[in-house]
Amino acid sequence: MTDLLTFDSVSKTFGGKAAVNDISFSVGRGEIVGFLGPNGAGKTTSIRMGLGIVRPSAGRVTLFGERPGPAAFGRIGFLPEERGLYKKQTAREAVAHIARLNGVHKADAFTTADAMLERYGLGDVAAQKVKSLSKGMAQKVQLLAAIAHDPEFSILDEPFSGLDPVNQQVLEGIVRDLSRGDRTVLFSTHVMEHAERLCDRIILMANGRVAFDGKTSEALERAPHRLIVASPDPRLTDTLTPFAQTLSREGDTVHADLKRNATSQAILERLVAQGVTITRFEPRTPTLHEAFVAMVGADVLGDMAANVADDTPLEEDAA
Amino acid sequence: MKHLSLRRIWLIAQRDYFGYVKTVGFWLSFLMPIVFGGIGILAISAGLDFQNTRYETILDTTGQDVGEDMVARYTRRLVEMRQTITDELPDAMQAAVGDQLDSELDNNLVLVPPPADTIDGLQPYLKGERTVNYEGEDITLDGALHIYSDNGEARARYWSSNVNADLLPSIARRYFRDRARANYLESGGLTLDGYDAATDDLSGIDTFDPTKPVTDTESGQAVSLTDRIPYWVATAAAAFLWFTVFAGAYMLLTSMLEEKLGKLMEMMLASTQFVEIMFGKLLGVALLTLTSLAPYIILVGFGAAAAISMGDPEVIAGIRQAITPKMLVFFPVFLILGYVFYGAFFIALGSLSESMQDAQTLTIPILLVLTACVLVVPAGLADPNAPLVVFASWFPFSAPFAAIIRIPADASWAMLTGSALLLFVSTIGVTWVATQIFKHGVLSGAGLKPLGAWFRRVVLRQKTVS
Repeated sequence: MTDLLTFDSVSKTFGGKAAVNDISFSVGRGEIVGFLGPNGAGKTTSIRMGLGIVRPSAGRVTLFGERPGPAAFGRIGFLPEERGLYKKQTAREAVAHIARLNGVHKADAFTTADAMLERYGLGDVAAQKVKSLSKGMAQKVQLLAAIAHDPEFSILDEPFSGLDPVNQQVLEGIVRDLSRGDRTVLFSTHVMEHAERLCDRIILMANGRVAFDGKTSEALERAPHRLIVASPDPRLTDTLTPFAQTLSREGDTVHADLKRNATSQAILERLVAQGVTITRFEPRTPTLHEAFVAMVGADVLGDMAANVADDTPLEEDAA
Repeated sequence: MKHLSLRRIWLIAQRDYFGYVKTVGFWLSFLMPIVFGGIGILAISAGLDFQNTRYETILDTTGQDVGEDMVARYTRRLVEMRQTITDELPDAMQAAVGDQLDSELDNNLVLVPPPADTIDGLQPYLKGERTVNYEGEDITLDGALHIYSDNGEARARYWSSNVNADLLPSIARRYFRDRARANYLESGGLTLDGYDAATDDLSGIDTFDPTKPVTDTESGQAVSLTDRIPYWVATAAAAFLWFTVFAGAYMLLTSMLEEKLGKLMEMMLASTQFVEIMFGKLLGVALLTLTSLAPYIILVGFGAAAAISMGDPEVIAGIRQAITPKMLVFFPVFLILGYVFYGAFFIALGSLSESMQDAQTLTIPILLVLTACVLVVPAGLADPNAPLVVFASWFPFSAPFAAIIRIPADASWAMLTGSALLLFVSTIGVTWVATQIFKHGVLSGAGLKPLGAWFRRVVLRQKTVS
């Protein structure tokens, strides 16, 4: 698989503070990669370095095999975290303008803009000025503007933030469409559900470092399996203790984080063998969030912003 | 500046240009001079007078016809004044302007016969309680000049409910002053007309230029209108340049602010270089500025064409003398360089702003510099080779204005080229610095504090304690 984007021991400091600290990863052609992490983890800075907007303090970044810069213009579709459009442009003008900046000819740009707006439910507002659109509509228009030139590689920074659940679902559809064929998508998010549903691979950033880089299924394996069992029998807790890392009891119900080698099947067999009456037995599928808590700790996820430089800091030496 | 794309620069320029041109406000300001100019021309053609006509009267109780003499002298002076003004104009314009002057002079003040014999009898008319019938119309009396005798000496008092009215009193003041001078001169056997004739001959002093070629007639070296027109044209060119920079600068500032508030910049950076965005904005706003100035340029063009078509050889020769190869080469050069030089500053400052208040605060210093630099234009008109003007023509901030004003004073090609080169180098430097500030402003917060930190870290290479 050809690598479109590579980070090789890349660091970035702002005013002496490390926003990104010695990270290495690559994004191959045809992948959908989730770039995850809490606010302030270094995602936006990394994306800016990947696009050549910000130059790394150390290490090497390549995009399409070269230093990021004008050579990649037209091959990249980028949706930044900060949302915005020219308010006096119409929706179709907004889409066509960015497409034209990416090398599409005028007539084709407007034809594509009309087709995309129609396809994603914005045909009725194509001729309306951006200032009259709802926030969700404007956000979709901006995403369409970012990808109207059919880029090889789409980089979307927090594309789901600020959208209602219905529009989030539409956006998931757009991301899936974007990744057809050998097209590549890298998107950052701090909402794990989107990554779980969309990504082949996830890169978890924490404290400016890569805390995890691998397939989604591998990440989920690192999360503790959970089990909820309810029983009026007082022996319930003692029976579960050998299988659990932690236990908490609320009335008749016990929540257990299971040890790595413990299985729900083995626990059920033990309870039955001991004659413990069960009123509820509910194994819980681990989530990516639980996997990340297991990897980096809840405190890191919770206090991240206080420990690293701001994610959109003073630009020091942009390329 | 690798892979600088003219297409992307043009697209950004187009967006900025049409972003403004499509607004109603732009067309209102664009059409305003045309509309007002048209209204003015129509009003003149239709003989409309927007000045308020004052109906006043002179009540002369001296029995010596002092009021009549005063009016006669005033009328004679108006005729002389009209003659003086029209004599200065080309032949084709004399009749039209003369008629217009007559109309305005006649309509400003209309003297009606007094409707009463005493000042007490005039009071109801002056208070508006009664009207005067004048040429079939009932009019209100706006004022009355009462000329009376005080121990045989004529004196005057003016009555009006408009305390600021001064036309008739000023006519009276001048008349009584002249009368006093005449009486004084007569006591020595002299006349006022004789005195005026004697002093008038000395009031005109002709100016001669020793650098002009000597001709058969003595007037060959005399400074004429033809000699002065090139300086006026250079002054107008410098003023136009300054106005273009000033108007463009504000548009750049607001355009940049729109970009910041629109938050689209970072998205554009995936397909456009910083410097392309900057040059695109400079180009777009330059076109916009020229478009918004188009009505004035057209009016000036018409004015010049009219002056030429009127056939005054002095004016035609003066305009020809003003449009020299140096002016044709260096006016566009200094216009472009001056605009880019200042425009880059305003883009950079706009990128640091988050609101119009920020922008106004940040741009005060550069606006002060810009305003100070335009002061060199009148100084250059008075003496194009004064040390201050010579220095200003090399100093990049004032060079665009000062160098232009020096062209009619036969500034050398070497001096003009050197000044333009220095400005060009300075413009490249300013553009580079502006690009760095622009990048910083786009990717980070507003204001000078983070800029100061950036300057200390990147330029001064100071270590930051983390």
